Amino acid sequence: MSQINPEDFTVTDFAIREHRSLWGDAWKRLISSNTARLGMFIVILFVFSATFSHYFWKYEPKKDLDYSLKLKAPNLVVTEEIPSIHPFGTDKLGRDIFRRVVHGGWNSLRVGIVAVGISLLFGGVIGLLTGFYESTTMTRVERIVLYGITGFLMGMLSAWIANQFLQLVIFTILGILAGYFEGLWAGKYYRAVFFGALGALLNFGLALFVGLPVALVCGSLGLLAGLLLSVTLDGRFFSNVMMRAMDMILSFPGYLLAIAIVAFLGPGLGKGMIAIGVVGIPVYARLTRSAVLSVVNKEYILAAHSVGESHGRIIFRHITPNILSPIIVQTTMGLANAILSAAALGFLGLGAIPPEPEWGAMLGDSYRYLTSGAWWAVIYPGLAIMLSVLGFNLLGDGLRDALDPKLRT
Amino acid sequence: MKPLLEIKNLKTRFYTQDGVVKAVNDVSYSMNSGEILGVVGESGCGKSVHALSMMQLIPDPPGKITQGEVWLDGQDLLTLSEEEMQKVRGRDIAMIFQDPMTSLNPVFTVGFQIIEAIQLHTDMTKDEATHRAGELLDLVGIPGAAERLNDYPHQFSGGMRQRAMIAMGLSCEPKLLIADEPTTALDVTIQAQIIDLVNKLQAELGMAIMWITHDLGVVAEIAHTINVMYAGSIIETGKIRNIYKKTRHPYTIGLLGSLPRLDDAPGTELVSIPGLPPDLLALPEGCPFAARCEYRVEQCVVENPPLVEIDGPGHSVACWRWEEIAGIESK
Repeated sequence: MSQINPEDFTVTDFAIREHRSLWGDAWKRLISSNTARLGMFIVILFVFSATFSHYFWKYEPKKDLDYSLKLKAPNLVVTEEIPSIHPFGTDKLGRDIFRRVVHGGWNSLRVGIVAVGISLLFGGVIGLLTGFYESTTMTRVERIVLYGITGFLMGMLSAWIANQFLQLVIFTILGILAGYFEGLWAGKYYRAVFFGALGALLNFGLALFVGLPVALVCGSLGLLAGLLLSVTLDGRFFSNVMMRAMDMILSFPGYLLAIAIVAFLGPGLGKGMIAIGVVGIPVYARLTRSAVLSVVNKEYILAAHSVGESHGRIIFRHITPNILSPIIVQTTMGLANAILSAAALGFLGLGAIPPEPEWGAMLGDSYRYLTSGAWWAVIYPGLAIMLSVLGFNLLGDGLRDALDPKLRT
Repeated sequence: MKPLLEIKNLKTRFYTQDGVVKAVNDVSYSMNSGEILGVVGESGCGKSVHALSMMQLIPDPPGKITQGEVWLDGQDLLTLSEEEMQKVRGRDIAMIFQDPMTSLNPVFTVGFQIIEAIQLHTDMTKDEATHRAGELLDLVGIPGAAERLNDYPHQFSGGMRQRAMIAMGLSCEPKLLIADEPTTALDVTIQAQIIDLVNKLQAELGMAIMWITHDLGVVAEIAHTINVMYAGSIIETGKIRNIYKKTRHPYTIGLLGSLPRLDDAPGTELVSIPGLPPDLLALPEGCPFAARCEYRVEQCVVENPPLVEIDGPGHSVACWRWEEIAGIESK
């Protein structure tokens, strides 16, 4: 009888599967979806054409002018009348629309990235801080910083009323003082009296330069701020002030607020980016805060506290990676939104300054010629907007399905 | 000998919209180094909250420690600032939590988390800390420890995760290890393994352990001393022998009576304590257990009994009628 040698057999252990990371898993799910692949394709095409044209296909909008080629229909062969090829036709100044659409992509990409970057940076930090300190004891330094910020926010109203920048500084200092002298007369009523009086006097005195009625209003605001800052020494108060400020931004219709900000700052692509970014801050702040709140009471965060980790470390190392997925999805969708907003501003003449190629501005320049049959001057920039927005939205949808399997049906 | 840990009149409150929840009421006790203390009581009696209060980890707001002193090795922890407290946590006191499924961060490897805990309180280099983490995992009995450092928590079983948590707790050799219901989420065989492990580690490393649980069986196996808590206060405390053999508080008697025994006749019904624990939002004036107590007298409803020492040191009871109960019970 032959001996059975166990080494001749290979046993497959079904319980052990190949190591796959969270991101590897998500990537597999993402590329298995047709719509997400389509979205990814459009986005890659868009990003590639924009960057490539910017760096390797120089275009000087200020010199691009040729009245002899005014409003020519798309042509793919050279004729006697039109000596050059214009696949998308030309616009009212005889500029090649294809070229302008491709270069406009660079502007849209920039607006998208910078505006979403602004929203994400500010909104994300606000969301992290408000969510985390909602139920965590602050250290002294943290208290000073957070109370300074709170004071700054509370000072905005009176700074606006008195039209004095110094009001902001005073309220900030008031917050910092309340945070720094946290233990001064703690729990005593004269603490509130002291800070209230300090705030009232400082603001009253400063606003007196403007006029008595203004000084009275600012003085009472200062009293209120001093009282609030000195009595409530916890993160929930900070969180409340922050989120109410976010609510205030959110209560304006987005486009209207963006237009208002641009009107205040002056037109230009850069100003447009800031405007669109600021309008987006509350969305990210709320999203991040809610994600943080759902994570912050998990036991592994408590465990991180219990081994003595500092707050900054817990926020950025332990909480942030756990809330990334909703933020990634929102960021992708937000890019589409920012491109759309930039186009809207451009259309109204508030975004890019004219010769600069920008899709919205191109639409705004050419829609008048639609009645005279020049459809190409409007259709192609419009298509570019639609496709890029569609691409980012499809990709965002795909990412959401890939990163959050719970939502899958 | 000076005790390692001394808690005096600890009071913790939660200020909620419905009112003030009196979660911990005047808890005082002490622990020696190398002692294993069992804290028992039903859900919501303040076992975990008093431990979290010691480490100043209760969510604030709404929670607040309104009174008390927590002396650990000659230092009152409650007077320390948050920054100083961060140095104490993990180095002097470590904590293990109830649910091993959620107490490790899912996005980091187990090794990373242990190494992080080590590096927070020592000057070890990354390599030394990695080596140490491997030793710790080995110490808590995880096979192939060095390789498993690179595994994510979801690749560990529940028992292994709890072992990893214990390894993390031990990483800086704390003087006091608080184990907050560490075996509740585990099945019985794993429970037994974890208890053996903790017993072994305690003998080897000699730190004090506070074992919070609602399982009297587990505590009997491991603890030297027991605190029985009810509605946020300690109602009976003593050496384990005294608690199990010379039970004096009616609540402890009820708790022990509700355990099934091997020598019960078949078909014996389990005894339960009638009623529910009092609402911590509105604690009664007198003894919190009075409403459910079969030995209740007028005085119980009016006045809360203090914790008094009986039968010599090492056994205290908060009950007006412990002497009579002693008489009844010994019959």
